[in-house]
Amino acid sequence: MFLRMIRGAFARQWKKMLIIALTIMLGTSLATAMINVMLDVGDKVNQELKTYGANITVLPKSASVMSDLYEVEGSSDDTGSYLLESEIGNIKTIFWAFNIVDFAPFIDTNVTTDGGSETRLVGTWFNHHLDLPTGESLDAGVNSLRSWWDVDNGSWIDEQALEEDERAAMVGAVLAKREGISVGDTIHVKGAEGETELKVQGIFDSGGDEDEQIFAPLDLVQELSGKDGYISSIEVSALTTPDNELAEKAAKDPGSLTIAQYELWYCTAYVSSICYQIQEAITDSVAAPVRQVAESEGAIMDKTELLMVLITILSLIGSALGITNLVTASVMERSNEIGLFKAVGARDGAISGLFLTEILLTGLVGAVAGYFLGFGFAQIIGHTVFSSSIEMKPFVIPIVAILMLAVTLAGSIPAIRMLLRLDPAEVLHGR
Amino acid sequence: MFFKMITASLVRRRSRMLVALLAIAVGATILSGLVTIYIDVPRQMGAEFRNYGANMIFMASSNDAVFDMDTVQTGIDKIEQGKLVGVAPYRYETVRIHEQPVVAAGTDLSQVQTTSPYWMIDGEWPEKDEEMLVGQNIAESLNLHAGDLVNVMGPTEEDSEDQLNFGVDIRVTGIVETGGKEEDYIYMSMADLETLVGEGELDVVELSVSATAEELDRYVKTIESEAEGITPRLVKRVTQSESTVLGKLQALVFLVTAVVLVLTMICVATTMTAVVAERRKEIGLRKALGASDASIMKEFMGEGLLLGGVGGILGSVLGFVFAQFVSVRVFASSIRYQPLLLPVTILVSILITGLACLFPVKNATTVDPALVLKGE
Amino acid sequence: MSLLELRGISKIYGDLKALDNINLSVENGEWTAIMGPSGSGKSTMMNIIGCMDKPTMGEVLLDGVDIAKESAKNLTAIRRDKIGLIFQQFHLVNYLTAVENVMVAQYYHSLPDEKEALEALARVGLADRAKHLPSQLSGGEQQRVCIARALINHPEIILADEPTGNLDEANENIVLDLFRQLHEEHTTLIVVTHDPEVAEVAQRTITLEHGRIKSDEINKMFGRN
Repeated sequence: MFLRMIRGAFARQWKKMLIIALTIMLGTSLATAMINVMLDVGDKVNQELKTYGANITVLPKSASVMSDLYEVEGSSDDTGSYLLESEIGNIKTIFWAFNIVDFAPFIDTNVTTDGGSETRLVGTWFNHHLDLPTGESLDAGVNSLRSWWDVDNGSWIDEQALEEDERAAMVGAVLAKREGISVGDTIHVKGAEGETELKVQGIFDSGGDEDEQIFAPLDLVQELSGKDGYISSIEVSALTTPDNELAEKAAKDPGSLTIAQYELWYCTAYVSSICYQIQEAITDSVAAPVRQVAESEGAIMDKTELLMVLITILSLIGSALGITNLVTASVMERSNEIGLFKAVGARDGAISGLFLTEILLTGLVGAVAGYFLGFGFAQIIGHTVFSSSIEMKPFVIPIVAILMLAVTLAGSIPAIRMLLRLDPAEVLHGR
Repeated sequence: MFFKMITASLVRRRSRMLVALLAIAVGATILSGLVTIYIDVPRQMGAEFRNYGANMIFMASSNDAVFDMDTVQTGIDKIEQGKLVGVAPYRYETVRIHEQPVVAAGTDLSQVQTTSPYWMIDGEWPEKDEEMLVGQNIAESLNLHAGDLVNVMGPTEEDSEDQLNFGVDIRVTGIVETGGKEEDYIYMSMADLETLVGEGELDVVELSVSATAEELDRYVKTIESEAEGITPRLVKRVTQSESTVLGKLQALVFLVTAVVLVLTMICVATTMTAVVAERRKEIGLRKALGASDASIMKEFMGEGLLLGGVGGILGSVLGFVFAQFVSVRVFASSIRYQPLLLPVTILVSILITGLACLFPVKNATTVDPALVLKGE
Repeated sequence: MSLLELRGISKIYGDLKALDNINLSVENGEWTAIMGPSGSGKSTMMNIIGCMDKPTMGEVLLDGVDIAKESAKNLTAIRRDKIGLIFQQFHLVNYLTAVENVMVAQYYHSLPDEKEALEALARVGLADRAKHLPSQLSGGEQQRVCIARALINHPEIILADEPTGNLDEANENIVLDLFRQLHEEHTTLIVVTHDPEVAEVAQRTITLEHGRIKSDEINKMFGRN
């Protein structure tokens, strides 16, 4: 009979139930979408902030001291101040390998151009294809690491498309203007250990010092400078967690941590722990965070996440109030029914049970539909804003379910209790 | 009588009206709160992005032009008041510490704190002349620590007859760590550098400007054409990336606002529908008493619109309070009030409420009064 | 012992004495009509007898139990077991069919039994309307569903509040015939009405005025028409 009554209510009052289900559906979809977007926004913004370039630089131990200062006097020749090219791939084997988004090795040498002026020639990866021992493969290099470069003339160098003996280069805008170099030109450069012809494939505007430099593939520059197999620095772009006290303490001296702290630190993607792990992976290296990028990233991510949390809370409160409101209204509307049930001798518990079952069933239908609608909303937001999908975390489902249950009960129980307190005589006589 | 009926209904049916009012007020709060945040977020976030440091630099336009603070000032004047976060001039000269050549930057260190907020200082920022910061690499190789008093001398041996030979004793107040080139320099006040190497011109001026990409481009053009002797350039890495990320963030807040708004409005509408539908009996009674459909519509709509208006006003205030709360919590600054938003919020509330009431009321007026009164 | 006995019942709302020292006893199988103009205390009395309200003073003995002293929870149980209610407004659940409306009372009482419910409907002449919704039934039919619902748990007292107030002549007669039939089956009936015609057919007529019993007469014509 209980079921029959509920069935009757649903079959013949579906319009009223539909409104409740609809509202709960909207509320659920809002909660689902907002919570998922909120949880994922950190990762997404972090990913976007990668346009600021590398947040970690890796230098050889001995060269990290005063390297820039003395380069005027010519680069030192001892191999101790270089890193090994063969070890670059190790970066992708560290504990937080998954968080390493991009990286590029650099080696530079001074060359003399046709015009007779001395210029910095930088060897690097453009979109180097790398097969890792883990079986993964990725393309890394400056094409993505220098996303802010304007390459209006010509194009980025595509390493995979280069012919065996093709010697391509990209020239900084300021240098190109001064020397009258344009795309398609061949420039002659003379280095310490040889000379070669370079075909200009693109002219870039970086808005910085690099506008005075020439960029060419790594092996070519190694050959010109006689440093086969060596590189002088690596820039790494990694997804990191904003620093906290622990990270700051660890950055100064990992040795000062307790074992538990050390493990927590090591297993969290702080910029300092990733640096530490890179140092472990590459012989005689010093990895240091680029403060300009690392610090700012942390600040912006914190703010964005907090902003989203507050907006989410507002929308949750909004939908909670909306649902509570409507459920209360819909229960109040049925005062007559409650009075009647009481008059025919129904116990309070039985009436509450009937009403709650009805509302919760309606709510369940609405919530399930709402979850999928929310899924859709989250994906629309993800694709429109970040051009990637929002990860739907499974643990959001119980959170939303509990939330909706609480909200629906909060909306119906007080109303039912209030109506139960009414005298059936009063209700039935319409007073 | 019309108003008496409306107000009586509002006052006497307090609990139901409270339900409707609450729904409208919540909707209006979300509307005004989120829109305020949406409008103000670029400005607020833009300020956060100044953490990345200078986004514009001034350089001398030619070797023979005079490039000093006066020249720079003509450029700065072109930038709107309030947009400028900081200006740090730099002059690089080689000096000697312990007979080792070191590149010293003369600058305004109080401004550097605003143009390069990301510097990690182990120690304190200098507060007066004869205090300096030392890059970490220099500190390591010369074994300098915060608190050391260091004798800094002029650049070359040839100056030996000069009184500058004895150099100046400068206290190291902090070690700079940035992970970049800054670690290879020492930073002192302009006055100290002049004492050591004599007067000279600036090499570069770093500016941190809180403005959109378009505004920055405009500043660069005006300064280039109107301020003599200055070549302004944007630090692409910072500006380009900032507009990308900021654009995404704004789009995010926009979409979220839109989704939340649409859903809230539907919620308000369903609540109003329920509230009106509940009053079918009353509508039947009025019809039985001889009210025309039009007058019933008018009464109910009047009531709905009144509710919408009151809810809208309430929501505008609450929304502003919420936006203010968010702004203070997230950005530690107060939000800019959007005066236009008040009438818009109220209007939208009235509109939504009106629309939400329209269909159920219209529907209810088609009811046969006899049927309703018989207790159906 | 009488089935129902009111001893010195008063119900006071503020200054208003809705019932003023009422003494009344109703025997098993009796058909009583309670008459009186609006405001005479009919509804209040009916609510008290129907266990939906409590008197301010006095005792209400139903089967020897003073229901005036029972808790709200027990009152619900007593109402469920001993009283069948018939309303002027019928008060059917509008989303349940006729037979389901009858079964609601069974459900809250003990166990729903569709066959028994259908029999009850057949008894009020509605066997063929069992699957209809209240909105598809006429007023008289709805009232008969209401009567079937009141009868289904074999209550000791059927309490009817203006049972014919919303009905036309023809339906009124059907309902009164049903009452007659019930009376013959020794069901105790208390009918509250302001319609003299309805009161006339009862065995005993009690007239209330200003909360007091104005007259209490045995109907001499009873059973002759």
